[in-house]
Amino acid sequence: MLDTFILGLSSGSTCLLTCGMVFFPYLMAGSAGTRKIISDLSFFLMTRLIVYFLLATLAWYFGKTIFTSAIFRNYISGILYILFAVMLIWYSVGRNRKPDCPAKIVTTVNNKKLVPVFLGVVNSLGFCPALLLILTKSATQGTITQSYLAFLGFFAGSSLYFLPLPLAGRFRKKKVFETVGTLATGLAGIIFIIKGFTNLIGGIING
Amino acid sequence: MDETVNNPSMKKSFGKSLLYALPMFLITFVFITGGKPDFSDPAGTLAILATFLGMNILYFLMHYTGKTDKFRAIIFIVFALSLSFTLIRNMLEIRHSMSFSQADIVECKIPFCHLVIPMMILPAAFTKSIIFPGTILGGFANISSMAVLWLVATLVLGRGFCSWGCFYGGWDDGFSRLRKKPVIKKISDYWRWMPFAVLLMVAITAALSLTPTYCSWICPFKAVTEFEQVTGMESAAKAGVFISLFLGLVVILPVLTRKRTQCSFLCPLGAMNSLSNKITPFTVKIDKKACNECFKCVDVCPLFALTPEDVKNGKVSIFCSKCGKCVDACSRKAIHYGIKGIPAGSMKKFSRNIFLFVSFLFIAVFSSGAIITVIKSIFNLFI
Repeated sequence: MLDTFILGLSSGSTCLLTCGMVFFPYLMAGSAGTRKIISDLSFFLMTRLIVYFLLATLAWYFGKTIFTSAIFRNYISGILYILFAVMLIWYSVGRNRKPDCPAKIVTTVNNKKLVPVFLGVVNSLGFCPALLLILTKSATQGTITQSYLAFLGFFAGSSLYFLPLPLAGRFRKKKVFETVGTLATGLAGIIFIIKGFTNLIGGIING
Repeated sequence: MDETVNNPSMKKSFGKSLLYALPMFLITFVFITGGKPDFSDPAGTLAILATFLGMNILYFLMHYTGKTDKFRAIIFIVFALSLSFTLIRNMLEIRHSMSFSQADIVECKIPFCHLVIPMMILPAAFTKSIIFPGTILGGFANISSMAVLWLVATLVLGRGFCSWGCFYGGWDDGFSRLRKKPVIKKISDYWRWMPFAVLLMVAITAALSLTPTYCSWICPFKAVTEFEQVTGMESAAKAGVFISLFLGLVVILPVLTRKRTQCSFLCPLGAMNSLSNKITPFTVKIDKKACNECFKCVDVCPLFALTPEDVKNGKVSIFCSKCGKCVDACSRKAIHYGIKGIPAGSMKKFSRNIFLFVSFLFIAVFSSGAIITVIKSIFNLFI
């Protein structure tokens, strides 16, 4: 859970960087006031948690039924860790990357009450490298509880950044936080590269 | 014509420089000899004398020539090399090896260094525990004395600690001076935020795992101090990381860029010290009236602390370590040591004198022990 929490914590700022521009106007909701903002934010985070638990269940199920061989658990998962971690590093520190938020689609939703829920769904299903890493981890977990804990760690880490979102306009050094968070995401990627190599080498040594 | 163009030099006459060096001469004498000089050991006496004279000559030259960086660099580099030598010698004497075993960890026999401090704060605050296997009081390189030394130095000097107090900065400072011109010239100043990302990650991982993760996995200076005994895949991977980072960030990149890349892109303590730059009384100021925006200071800055925008705005960034390289490079003396509250362009000599006295005192106090040990060892070889 520790590594997924760290991944969530480091990549949460990237989520904010790429999707904040879409979330911000909705969560601020004009002159809606604190109660409305808290309510929208709660729906948004709750939806994310539910979607993550569904993904955790699916990943664990596929891990148990389809990806059962030692080859998957050692070699494939090792390769996937390395692949997704490299993607994560590129995704976070690639200077020419244009931030693209999967939640842009939300602008087409007419019912404003559904917006936080919809935002939660599209944000959770925005298959960024960080999420792909967690899916890989979940698929290799022994029990469904471990799979849930992996996603819970990721949810907790990444959600911390959304909590002060309604106040984001008041931060004077937004750019600095974005930059540091983006670089930290790259570092989290390195942790998973090491994990990937450990799986691979462990697989080779153990046959 | 403004003051800087009329009076561009920080040089002093021989007599005046001697007068300015006198307080340092007395303080370092008392500190180095402990107030009770013991001349019974010839090698020790010679080592003390050489260290004492060498330091004071450098301080005198700072006043006499009006230049700071090249004299600071000499003592800073010698300090880093001497400390590594002293540490390695101690390790070899005590353990007969540079590596430490699990038993050494359990028995809290690991020498503490200031780079661990960023990882200690959160666990100390939340769990009331020190997550480093070293001695808290007494013994060699104990935790409390190091933490106090760092705290005082960083409150007084801010990130100046990184150029006037750090035990290791001299390594990449030294390598960054080997070539006259850089091979790699363009590095985005975006990367200067990397130490903050490293600080964030090590603070979180250390707080959650209650282990000093930077020391365990990242610190490049493990390659020249002490490291975990290689007993399996994990310890081998760690040793690989230490050596790769040392070679990459402390040796190769500084040579190619003429920048202190380890300090600029990795060190989490440097990030903490950058924050303390906000509270320290000493700073580097840019006199916009005297500045002709040649940006020579931007080119020479070893820590990416200056950008053309900073110069145009007349403000150095929080990354400044007050090494004095930009101050020495500025032909118009538009950039100078300053004290907060005193406007840029005024009281330059006064500010420099005060800053030099305080900062040199720190480096003299920190480095003298290690330098004396090394000189003594050299003398012992010949006497």
